[in-house]
Amino acid sequence: MPMKTMRILLVEDTHDVGEAIAKRFEAIGHAVDWETNGRDAAEIIDFTEYALIILDVMLPGMDGFEILKRLRKSGNSVPVLVLTARSEIEDRVGALDLGADDYLVKPFDFRELEARARVLIRRRTGGEATNLIKCGDIAIDRGARSVHVGKREVQLKRRELTLLEVMAARPGRVFSKDELLDQIFGFDEAANANAIELYVGRLRKKLEGAQARIVTVRGLGYQLVAGDAP
Amino acid sequence: MHHEPSLFARLARRISLVLGIGAALLVSAAWYYAETAADKAYDRLLVGAALQMAESLSVENGALSARLPTSAFELLGLAERDRIFYRVIDTNGKTVTGYDDLQSPVSPDGARDGLSISEGTYKGEAVRIVRATRVLADPSVTGHAYVIVAQTNEARSALTRELTLRATILVLIMSLLAFVGAMLAIRYALQPVERLGAAVRRRDPHDLTPVSVDVPRELDPFVSSINHFMGRLNERVDLLQRFIADAAHQIRTPLTALSAQIDLLGHDKLDKAGRQHFERVQQRTGELARLTNQLLSHAMVIHRADSIQLEPISLVDVARRAYRAAIPITVDPDIVISFEAPDDRPFVLGDAVSLREAIVNVIDNALRHGTDQRLEVRVRSDAIDAYVEVEDDGPGIPPEGWEKATQRFATSKSHEGSSGLGFAIAQEVVNAHGGTLGFKARDEKSFTVVLTLPLYKGSAT
Repeated sequence: MPMKTMRILLVEDTHDVGEAIAKRFEAIGHAVDWETNGRDAAEIIDFTEYALIILDVMLPGMDGFEILKRLRKSGNSVPVLVLTARSEIEDRVGALDLGADDYLVKPFDFRELEARARVLIRRRTGGEATNLIKCGDIAIDRGARSVHVGKREVQLKRRELTLLEVMAARPGRVFSKDELLDQIFGFDEAANANAIELYVGRLRKKLEGAQARIVTVRGLGYQLVAGDAP
Repeated sequence: MHHEPSLFARLARRISLVLGIGAALLVSAAWYYAETAADKAYDRLLVGAALQMAESLSVENGALSARLPTSAFELLGLAERDRIFYRVIDTNGKTVTGYDDLQSPVSPDGARDGLSISEGTYKGEAVRIVRATRVLADPSVTGHAYVIVAQTNEARSALTRELTLRATILVLIMSLLAFVGAMLAIRYALQPVERLGAAVRRRDPHDLTPVSVDVPRELDPFVSSINHFMGRLNERVDLLQRFIADAAHQIRTPLTALSAQIDLLGHDKLDKAGRQHFERVQQRTGELARLTNQLLSHAMVIHRADSIQLEPISLVDVARRAYRAAIPITVDPDIVISFEAPDDRPFVLGDAVSLREAIVNVIDNALRHGTDQRLEVRVRSDAIDAYVEVEDDGPGIPPEGWEKATQRFATSKSHEGSSGLGFAIAQEVVNAHGGTLGFKARDEKSFTVVLTLPLYKGSAT
C-alpha cells in the first residue's frame, strides 16, 4: 500500500514538540500545517480538509476538547489523535467520549505517535471494512482489525493481518510468493521473497493452537487450510 | 509504653473500695446494735431477778432475813451457761447471804433511785452487776438493804455474736450483689468505647473520612478530636498528592520537549560511538517518561480509591481496553501477543479507570521485563473470584523476590534500573477492590501475574 501525501493539521503550542512532530511527518512525505493557537486552529478546520488532526489539549485561545467538540458537532469525521499532558486520566477517557480516535499521554514515544497516526490515516483511506472473514476457527474482523483464534484474540501486525486476510479470503487456494508480495507490499516497496517467508513464519507462530493453518506447498507457495486434515 | 490501668480496672477498684468501707461500717453498726439489744434483753432478766430478791427481804425477830425466791433463780437460769453470784447486804453493811467480796463498782450514794446496772469483774471474769435497794422502815431495822446480783456475759455475748453474724452475712450478700451489678454496669457503660476502638481499628488505612459511630455524649469530645485529626491528616495527604500530580505534570511538558529534541537530533548523522550515546539518551528519556507517568498514575489510583464509588463493571471490557492501550503499535513483531476472554462476562464491583490502569501497568511490566516471545492476557472466573492473568515466557521473578516485587521501586536483578511503580500501582488498585495481586511460575518458560478480584454477584446491568 503506497503512502500518498496526506495533509495533517498539528495543533501544539510547545515549540520543541511541535517542531519534532512536524519534521517527523514531513520526513515521511506528508504536508503538515502547524498551529499553536486553539482559536486559529478551530477556524482553519472549518474550511480545510485534513487526513488527520493531531491535537494538544492545553492550548491558548481554545482548548483541545473544545475544538474536538465543535468539530464533531459540525459533522466532521476527520480522525483526531489527542495529545494530553493533563494529569487526570479521565481526560484520556473523556477524549475518546468526545470523539477522539486515539490519544497519547505526554511524554510519548515519537515512533509510537507516527505508527498510530499511520493506522488512523489508513483506516480512513482504506474505507470502512466491517466484514468478517472466517476460516475454520480463525475469525478476522476487518473493521476492528482483530483476529480471533477460537476464544483467543491474537495481536497481529498490519502486514501479517493483510497476509492472513488475503489467504483467508480464499481458503485452500495456493498463493505464490510473488502474488503475496504484490498484495502485501504493493509495487513501489522494495521487498523480496524472503520477506514473505518471514511474515508467514510469524503468522504461523501467532496462529499456533488453531486448527486452521498455513501449509507450504513445495515449489508453489502457501495455502490456508481450515480443517484438521493432515 | 507505659500503660495506664484500664478504665474497667480503675472503676472496679474504686467501687470495691467504697463497697468494702460501706460493708465494714454496716457490720460495725450491726455489732453495736446487737450488743445493745443483747444487753437490754439480759439486763431485764437480771434486774427482774434482783428486784424479786430485794422484794423478798423481810425482818424477822429484829434481824434481816433473806429467803430468796426460786422464781428469781429460774429467771436467771434462762441464760443457761452463765454463772450467777449474789450478795445480800443488811442495813449495817454486813453480808446476810452470798459472796462476801461481791461489790458493785457504783457507790450506793450515786444511785438513790435504788437500782444500778454496771459492768465489772468478779473472780477474774467479766460480769454484769445489778444492785437493787430495799428501804426498810421496821422499828428494829431501819435503813437501806442491798441485793447485788452478778452474771457472767456468755449468753449476751453469744446473742451479740449471732445477731452480728447474721447481719454480716446479709451485708456481704448485698455487697456482692452490688459489686456484680456495678461490674456489669461498667462493662455496659464502657461498650461504646470498645465499639469506637473497634471501628477505628477496622478502618482501611486509606480511609480518612470522619468516624461515624454512635457514641454516648461523654465520648463526643474524643470522637471529634479523632475526626479533627483525620481531617488535618486528610488535608496533608491531599496536598501531598496534589503536589505529586502537579510536579509530575510540570515535568511532563519539558520531558516531551526533551524527547522531541532527541528525536530531531536524529541518529543518522552520528558516528558509531555517538549513536551509542544517542540510543542511551533515548532509552533513559523513555525510562524517565515512564516513571513520570507511573508517578501520576499512582497518585491518581490512590486518590480514586478514596473518592470513587465502585460500580459493577465487565472485567473483560476493562481488561480488553487495557490490553489495547498497553501494547504499543511499535512492539516487536516477533512477539506473539494474545487476549483470551471467557464466554460469560464476569462482573466485578470496581472503578474502571483504576482497574484499567492496574492492568495496563502489569502488561507494560511484562512487555518490558518479561516477555521474550510470548505474552498472553487472560480473563477467567470461578464461583467466587474473577481473574486477570498476564503470562509471559520471560525469566520471571524468583519466588523469593515476589514479596519485594510489589514494593515501590523494587529493582530486579536481571535488569538495570527498576521495575518502578507498576506492581505497586496494580497492588494498590486490587487491594482497594478487595482483591489480591499474585504470581505464578508454572515452569521455566512461563511466568504469570494474577490479579484476583471478588466476583460481583448482583444483577449485572
